[in-house]
Amino acid sequence: MSGRKLLMSFPVTPTSHLLAEVRARGGYQTLQRVLTSMTPEQVTKEVTAAGILGHGGAAFPVGRKWSVIHLNDSQPHYLCANADEGEPGTFKDRWILENSPHQLVESMLIAAYALQVRNAFVYIRGEFDLPYRRLQGAVDEAYEAGLLGEKILGTDFSCDLVVYRGAGSYVCGEASALITSIEGKKGYPRNRPPRLTVRGLYQRPTVINNVETLSNIEIIVRMGAEEFRKVGVAKSPGTQLVSISGHVAKPGVYELEYGTPLAKFIYEDCGGVLGGKKLKCIIPGGISTKVLTDADIATVTYDHKAMEAVGSQVGSGGMVVIAEGTCMVRLLQVMLRFYHHESCGQCTPCREGMGWLHRIIDGIVAGRGRPEDIDAMVRISEANDGTTICGMGDAAGFATVGIIAKYRDEFEYYIANGRSKCGGRLEVDVAEQEAAHA
Amino acid sequence: MPDFFINGQPVTAAKGQTVMQAAKAAGFFIPTFCWHPSLSVSGNCRICVVEVEGEGGGGSWMEIACNMPVTEGMRVLTDSDAVRARRRETLQFILLNHPVDCGICDKAGECTLQDYHYEMNGLPSVSTVPKVHATKYFELSSRIVLDNERCIVCSRCVRFTREISKSHALGIQNRGDASLVRPVESRDFESDPYSDNVIDICPVGALLSKQFLHKARVWYLKATPSVCPGCSRGCTVDLWHRKAEWKLNALDPRENTAIARVTPRENPEVNGPWICNKGRDLAKIFERPRAEQAMQKGKPVPLGDAIADARRLIRESKRPAALVSSWGSNEELTAFKAALGDRVECIVKSDWQPQPGERLEDDLLIRADKNPNTRAAQNLFGSEARLVPADSDLVLVWGEGASFADLPRGAKVILLGSYLAPENGHADVFIPVSIQTERAGHYTNFAGVVSRFEPIVRKKDGAAHAEQLFAQLTARTEALA
Amino acid sequence: MNTIVSMHHLLPEFEKMKQRYPAGFESSLTLPCLRRIQQERGYVAEEDIDLVVEYLGVPRIQVEEVLSFYTQYRRKPVGRWHLQACRNVSCSMRGAERMIDHLAKRLGIQPGQTTADGCFTLDHVECLGSCGTAPVVIVNETYHENMTVERLDALLGELK
Repeated sequence: MSGRKLLMSFPVTPTSHLLAEVRARGGYQTLQRVLTSMTPEQVTKEVTAAGILGHGGAAFPVGRKWSVIHLNDSQPHYLCANADEGEPGTFKDRWILENSPHQLVESMLIAAYALQVRNAFVYIRGEFDLPYRRLQGAVDEAYEAGLLGEKILGTDFSCDLVVYRGAGSYVCGEASALITSIEGKKGYPRNRPPRLTVRGLYQRPTVINNVETLSNIEIIVRMGAEEFRKVGVAKSPGTQLVSISGHVAKPGVYELEYGTPLAKFIYEDCGGVLGGKKLKCIIPGGISTKVLTDADIATVTYDHKAMEAVGSQVGSGGMVVIAEGTCMVRLLQVMLRFYHHESCGQCTPCREGMGWLHRIIDGIVAGRGRPEDIDAMVRISEANDGTTICGMGDAAGFATVGIIAKYRDEFEYYIANGRSKCGGRLEVDVAEQEAAHA
Repeated sequence: MPDFFINGQPVTAAKGQTVMQAAKAAGFFIPTFCWHPSLSVSGNCRICVVEVEGEGGGGSWMEIACNMPVTEGMRVLTDSDAVRARRRETLQFILLNHPVDCGICDKAGECTLQDYHYEMNGLPSVSTVPKVHATKYFELSSRIVLDNERCIVCSRCVRFTREISKSHALGIQNRGDASLVRPVESRDFESDPYSDNVIDICPVGALLSKQFLHKARVWYLKATPSVCPGCSRGCTVDLWHRKAEWKLNALDPRENTAIARVTPRENPEVNGPWICNKGRDLAKIFERPRAEQAMQKGKPVPLGDAIADARRLIRESKRPAALVSSWGSNEELTAFKAALGDRVECIVKSDWQPQPGERLEDDLLIRADKNPNTRAAQNLFGSEARLVPADSDLVLVWGEGASFADLPRGAKVILLGSYLAPENGHADVFIPVSIQTERAGHYTNFAGVVSRFEPIVRKKDGAAHAEQLFAQLTARTEALA
Repeated sequence: MNTIVSMHHLLPEFEKMKQRYPAGFESSLTLPCLRRIQQERGYVAEEDIDLVVEYLGVPRIQVEEVLSFYTQYRRKPVGRWHLQACRNVSCSMRGAERMIDHLAKRLGIQPGQTTADGCFTLDHVECLGSCGTAPVVIVNETYHENMTVERLDALLGELK
């Protein structure tokens, strides 16, 4: 396997998520130590020194986000774990929610202590059923055991945790939309300023971190920043949970130490392309990230700087493997249909642009494409770059521009001939797939 | 007080201002759809994007001005090539699904989108895909019609009902380009007395007044400043009627002088940019059937005869009283006092009372006193509530609202009125008088603010201007104009 | 004529929910209360909106907007078995389109419709966060993963 494991460090069984077994593995000892022998400032200092970057997609330094919170400013602070996980191809937070929910709970308590948070929330997408039941079960266990609520573990620290279920909206994975949803309203993102760490949930200072990011907090405090930094590489310490799917032999969630060669991961750990087919490309970290071909993968290591150097990103850790013979026009159509469906509708470029992109590509796929459609899609994408309230408009633009840049010939073919160069295929090996599921 | 630069010029901003606010205050133009000075910042239309030059040789960046705090020394460009290019793109998006209804849309001529398109874009749409269609004629209420295709989802109307009228009666349903402005299903928008303000603030022709629908092009009309007489707030308004050069010969001539619509006249001291719906319906007040014929006990007489008879009754009376109109202008009230104040027991009358179903009072605009000039009247004639003395032998009733049944039996009645009413025929002398749309004058609102109104039409031939009439009622000589 | 059963009996549950939130967070309860009501009734009725508005003190328009914005809320009933099939990137790459066509053919309805006997409603949805076990179909609340045509037939057989 690829590197050290920090999160997926225990054998998963039907009961390994329960509190008794978690405690047997050492769970909540770190919390005990934090509450009895560390100050909030010391916790934040450790997290900052560890250099951990956010695992939700933006890779923002966590310590820097936390440091905006003024301690002792006599107003409520809030902490929210982002468990909305709506990015297509991304299902790695789900692993934590289902199999290691106490890791998240304990970490959130440590973070709440550091940030002087009395009320914490986990925003979990509404569709997640088992992950919700596991997480709520863990929260209930924690309350029962005095690990949540008033005077935790007999100390002066009290904290309540509410698991807040969403109701079907991808944009609620965006931090400001997430908290507007927790306020009981539509998931409309907000303009910045103000930053959410200044005015967030009900206009109070709020920290929102990804589930995986938060789950690392207990690990950092337990190991200490110095030891933590020995895992991974200098600019990307620690590990990344990677969810891999698509035309891959062994889809699933894996933990990768940063710095792992990507080719090794895909071809060895994940068994390479389904049915032994040739790789066309991979989408490395969420569908808006630039696709990588074998040439890129051959030399790149899985960490932030290296991925950026080949023009892409670690992103959300959601990898999609695409085999040769897949029609990239149809694939982009699926993506644009998704963005169109999920646009909240607030701001002009995204509200109009997503529908526009979708209708253009529908026209191409239906055989009615025009030569100018390709440049039109690029123009619409560029007009969404940095012009919108949230990053969704940009994301659709990046996906469009990226796929067109690498596979322009497929678009030109489709438009000229009224049909796909690849037979319109999204599936590539039905027999192999059925066998894989048997 | 940060100093910063717009297009190279130094500008001083008040603490906490955004670039938008500071720019507007300093007279710079930044286009806006969703931003409005009286509403919260939404920042969704993206048309107000400006360029900010980077510091120390760094690259410049673009951001919406309405949500950008002013910082010391920042250098903002509102008209650079990059800003213009961005505006063109934004307009392309706004116009993507916008129906080219200008030829049949009431907003033409005062439409922000139309204006910006001409100034900033002026290019045909580059789109090759069919426009998204939506509801064309949605009854938002019995007063307002909504065209969802024209709507650019700027949310001004929604924010208005949330923040100003507080009826919470409008919202945006669904998401993406399926977003639709819709009224709350409990129909609260119908009973929002400030509902029609959304028509003004809608930057396009999505929200239109039903009573004005397809009546006239706005450039056929001229706006005349006036004051709403609906309550003692005295909101300043514009009364719109056809310009002389646009009069229609083929129509009923009353169409050429009728009030086509009423809009707020912005007034920081009194009503800000708003009025209530009662003010929109001023035609319902001013265009009621008019009294144009002087009468004596219901018998038509020449105006001069009626005035002479009234003068005689006043001269002969021993204990005359007067019910003074709280709709009289400052000028009329002053003239009344000068002519009759010493001679007659003057009591201020509330011409209008609150109607059933009418909002009494709130902390926005609406006041319980449904008369425009009570304050000036009370300043001149006192403010205690009094009844007409039971031993009065003559009552001069000026304006509406007096019930003849409440007047002392046996007292003669001189009635000065503007509208047809049964009492007109019961008065000993009835003299028709002009209304505020037929003369210039001033009202004093409840807080003492004096506002001016101007005429839109000449007075009726058979009527008198009360301001001149009062002197004639006490003149020593018989000579009359 | 159906008389609507009131959801007042859920109020004690809502009160318990409210205890877990800080003071002043009444508006936040909008989503969880609607979810609970829909769980009970199968959809959210007009009377339920009135109940939530009165109980939480939120503007009615907020509840109406929330119901229209989030895909999981329904203001009309669905079939006994609500089948929601993902057709996003990974699921499409592992046969989702074939699954959806198969379901449509077997049930005799198109996505967005309900069978005449009220048994099944078919919808397609976006990514469910289960890409590693694609293609995925949700039946009511439960994820059914690694679906094949055979497995779908077996599932439909069980549900009937």
